[in-house]
Amino acid sequence: MSQSAQIRRSSGGFFLTLVSRYWGVLAVLLAWQAWVSISGVNAIVMPHPIDVLLNIVQNPGSYWQNGSQTLLLAAGGLVMGMALGTLIAVVAWTSRVLSGILIPLGLIFSSVPVVALIPVLARLLGYDVRTVLAIVVIISFFPAFVFTSAGLRALPPGSEDLFQVLGASKWRRFVHLVMPSAVPNWMIALRLAAPPAVLSAMVAEFLMGSSGLGYMFRAAATDFDTAQAFGTSVVATAISVLCFTAATLAETRVNQKWK
Amino acid sequence: MMKIDREKATDLVLGVLGIGLFLVLWEVIGAYRLAGLTWPKLSDVLAFLFEPSRQGLFLRAMGASFSMVAAGYVLGLVIGIAMAALVHVINPLRPGMDRFASVVNAIPPIALAPIFIVLLSREVTGMAIATLNVFFVIYVATTSGLQSSTRGHRDLFAVIGASKIRRFMSLDMPAAFPALVSGMKYAIPAAFIGAILGEWFGSSRGLGLLMVSAMQNFQIPLLWSAVLIASTASLLAFGAMSLLERFVYGRFR
Repeated sequence: MSQSAQIRRSSGGFFLTLVSRYWGVLAVLLAWQAWVSISGVNAIVMPHPIDVLLNIVQNPGSYWQNGSQTLLLAAGGLVMGMALGTLIAVVAWTSRVLSGILIPLGLIFSSVPVVALIPVLARLLGYDVRTVLAIVVIISFFPAFVFTSAGLRALPPGSEDLFQVLGASKWRRFVHLVMPSAVPNWMIALRLAAPPAVLSAMVAEFLMGSSGLGYMFRAAATDFDTAQAFGTSVVATAISVLCFTAATLAETRVNQKWK
Repeated sequence: MMKIDREKATDLVLGVLGIGLFLVLWEVIGAYRLAGLTWPKLSDVLAFLFEPSRQGLFLRAMGASFSMVAAGYVLGLVIGIAMAALVHVINPLRPGMDRFASVVNAIPPIALAPIFIVLLSREVTGMAIATLNVFFVIYVATTSGLQSSTRGHRDLFAVIGASKIRRFMSLDMPAAFPALVSGMKYAIPAAFIGAILGEWFGSSRGLGLLMVSAMQNFQIPLLWSAVLIASTASLLAFGAMSLLERFVYGRFR
């Protein structure tokens, strides 16, 4: 923050701030444009940006319908998965045996490629929109569980003794000490789980081919409709960045209030 | 000391118990068809997996996928460390690189697939996605690690008049090592995810292809076997990295 403020002060230019923050993104866009112009690939292989935009503008209905469906499934699944993960983490916190059994399993599942579970879940639950939701819930569950469990155990030093001295009950200790100290970790889990939630919703739609952005992408790719395939990519990126930014903002906001 | 050892022993026993329970549950659900026909018994999956006539199939798929995982991992590692070192030495570049890394992380790889398929080929799309995933984890870990040298050490290097390069090599790099190794651990599942995703977008070989074709053709044991192979491989690599991490933390901290 202070760095960008410095740049702004020394140059007084909005442009420099923009370049300083986005040079990486700009460089990639320029390289892409240069590559398209120099190699002269035809529009079927690599559509021009204007064709992609036109495709979105001309089919607002299908983009809106599929895009909003994917957004709702990803966001809903993320919230439900986070809630479930938190609930299980709290239940595990109450019992030494339960936490000893569940936490290693949670760690194991978060060190395997979870998207590989999508085909298994799709077959188990059947090709259906509800399966997409269930997949997002399950994939968001693991970070929520692992991070909340860690947060419930990372108490500020000395605070436990204080509560002991005050003779606080286990319930009071949980409400006033343990739960608040887990909140920052919980926000990290939310931020980390947001991009995979959108991704897994899209991949599930892509593999099962029912509806939503993932299906739209697959249909476009099968028909060699590259303008539509890239249009889907643009909308998917927008949705994912939206979810990620919302989660990051929530994290900063909560941390400011909390710390 | 005794108390800590006892805690650790209890953790170990409970952890092993948990994994055992999970495997027994898997077997029982499969045996009694509690989750329908598409949940096979663990023993059936293992029998399917170790059937000699299928060794060739699995070995070929593993070779194809793991080479993509390894290549993507190494590429992402090198690019991530290089970029983190670059923005550490030339600090004004840092905000732009940070932003770039978080945009890369926020874009779903499925949206990048068409670009990779056009730019590269269907066969190496998995490697490219793995590279991006690994790059993000390594970049974030290394940049934060490079800043972890203490004030006192930095002052010492300033007093003895060490050059910027010298300070980077003898102070910042060793200080960043523990964070980097933790990053390398978390990059393992990220690399596997990238490679498998890439194979779903039309690759003609690999574990990802086995999963999709088994899913579509209702070959349940084959589907679970492919997922089990990928998960076990990721878990083993992750475990190896955890050991390395423990060693590095003991040595460098």
